[in-house]
Amino acid sequence: MAEVVFEKVRKTFGSTVAVNDLDLTIDEGEFVSLLGPSGCGKTTTLRMLAGLEEPSGGTIRIGDRVVNSVPPAKRDIAMVFQSYALYPHMTVGKNIAYPLKKRGIREPERSERVMATARLLELETLLDRKPAQLSGGQQQRVALGRAMVREPQVFLLDEPLSNLDARLRAHMRAELIELHRRIGRTMIYVTHDQLEAMTMSTRIAVMNAGVLQQFATPADIFHRPANVFVAGFIGSPAMSLVEGELVGSGGGDGERRFRVHCGALDVALPAGLLNRSAAPGPISLGIRPEDILLGSGHHTAAVGVVERTGHESIVRLEAQGTPLIVRAPGDTPIESGETVRFSLRVERLHIFDSTTGLRLNADTKDS
Amino acid sequence: MNASRARMIWSVVTWTIVLAVVFPLIWMIVTSVKPQSELFSIPPTLMPETITFEHYRRLLTDTPFLQYFRNSMILAVTTTVVVVVLGTLGAYSLVRFKYRGRETLATLVLFTYLMPSVVLVIPLYLMMAKLGLANTLASLVIAYTTFALPYALWLLRSFMSSIPVDLESAALVDGAGRMGAFVDVVLPQALPGIVSTALFTFILCWNEYLFALVLVNSDSVRPLTAGTMNMLITSFNIDWSLLMAASVMMSLPLIVIFTFLQGTLTKGFGAGAVKG
Repeated sequence: MAEVVFEKVRKTFGSTVAVNDLDLTIDEGEFVSLLGPSGCGKTTTLRMLAGLEEPSGGTIRIGDRVVNSVPPAKRDIAMVFQSYALYPHMTVGKNIAYPLKKRGIREPERSERVMATARLLELETLLDRKPAQLSGGQQQRVALGRAMVREPQVFLLDEPLSNLDARLRAHMRAELIELHRRIGRTMIYVTHDQLEAMTMSTRIAVMNAGVLQQFATPADIFHRPANVFVAGFIGSPAMSLVEGELVGSGGGDGERRFRVHCGALDVALPAGLLNRSAAPGPISLGIRPEDILLGSGHHTAAVGVVERTGHESIVRLEAQGTPLIVRAPGDTPIESGETVRFSLRVERLHIFDSTTGLRLNADTKDS
Repeated sequence: MNASRARMIWSVVTWTIVLAVVFPLIWMIVTSVKPQSELFSIPPTLMPETITFEHYRRLLTDTPFLQYFRNSMILAVTTTVVVVVLGTLGAYSLVRFKYRGRETLATLVLFTYLMPSVVLVIPLYLMMAKLGLANTLASLVIAYTTFALPYALWLLRSFMSSIPVDLESAALVDGAGRMGAFVDVVLPQALPGIVSTALFTFILCWNEYLFALVLVNSDSVRPLTAGTMNMLITSFNIDWSLLMAASVMMSLPLIVIFTFLQGTLTKGFGAGAVKG
């Protein structure tokens, strides 16, 4: 069993709290991304799991074992660093063989396993080269190889794709998904790139300012963001978040009905959209760019910048002082400066409490 | 001005400088193989008319030169080993470990280097005498270490701080202990720095004169500098032939070491495996 458990884990550097009371249980064989802006504590969390940082409080378990004071070498983990951290004075072959050598695995088994790993990553022809003679993508594969060769219980990956160019990154994403499927080990992946997290993970842990915001599947994170931070962080372009007021409009059938007033926007919410704790008061209204439909409807707005990427157009609207971002089909006949009518897919609106930032929709899951 | 003319002027300038630097060395070698009769001939002969190795023979057989040479070798090698071992570990600690007073310690180390060594000679001699170390090679090893170590620490510290922490972290995760990571990853990376520090320390010890003059006073422990001076330069006479032969012999080890280590000194610089 190699589930990974964080219980009330804290890490402080002086007076700075890097990770605050983190509770997280990662099941065996999962691919979990730690996602968040830089400085959110995701790398610190990974380094604590690796044993490179000592937690200031709480318990970290790998399988059944509490590893708080276990040195990195004894944790049965492997790590791929953002800088790759290949040993510059060793050849590719020696780099990959190093973890085996340190664990006392002798020749010829050592060479056999290095070769098997190299074949898997298509590195056979590069085994005698030094890291400095390799391209970025090749170095990245060597770093992966060095992690894989030992077949550890848990893989830790710290932004391993961030130094690659866009095309190679897309390619490596697919490779990593395939690799995870094939070896089936627990993988924990740190990234600030939501695309990587969304495409590769079984679950995503979104972090901000040292605090876990939401831990859920990519679909849940996207469709049911637990709070305003997650809502604004996930999705590109970002969800439009508008400050407004929730008012009750009292349905005659005993069902509670609400309307939302946000400046010029006045929207009647469908019955049952909000949970029971929803009460009239200040709220943030979240609208995904794809949930605004241009062309008809009773709202109007001025068209600002239109960015066309070919298959879609990102349109910036100004609805009487309220900025909105819309994703429309690439061939939408719309020009900057004109006035358009639009409607909202009201059943997909996100409502957040203004003071707590928590989501008030009825389909919110506890994370 | 066209390019080839500029290049020619540059060549003339550089070669002039090179000749000016090299001339005393050439003159030293030439003088050491001239017979006594030719030494003070006017005009001086740039190329000796007859070549003799008589001075070298005399130096090696009739004087304690070999004893001095042995002493210098022991002294320089021992000090270099002590300084490099302490310096490497110390610099690593200053760079990697966090403890109270780390920066203050580093600055204090620099201050000791700023102290003029002539101030320390007499107190050191008295201390050595009290410790029963006066007139031993050990006293010189200790004295040389006091001024070579601070410099070594600073030199190695800057080398160590350029080694990415990630490399060590990777080694730790890959199964090495603290010491294993140091030996497998840090040392090879710091090698060019360690070699230049060793070289610097060796030269410093090899050429040191002041402490050698004061702290020891018998031929059995005198190093080359003090020994040669004592033997060949007196108030009445300077034995130029022997002095030049001795100078050539003293330069030899340094030339040999430089030739062998030149590669290592420049290797490693600019070869990076860590991006970002």
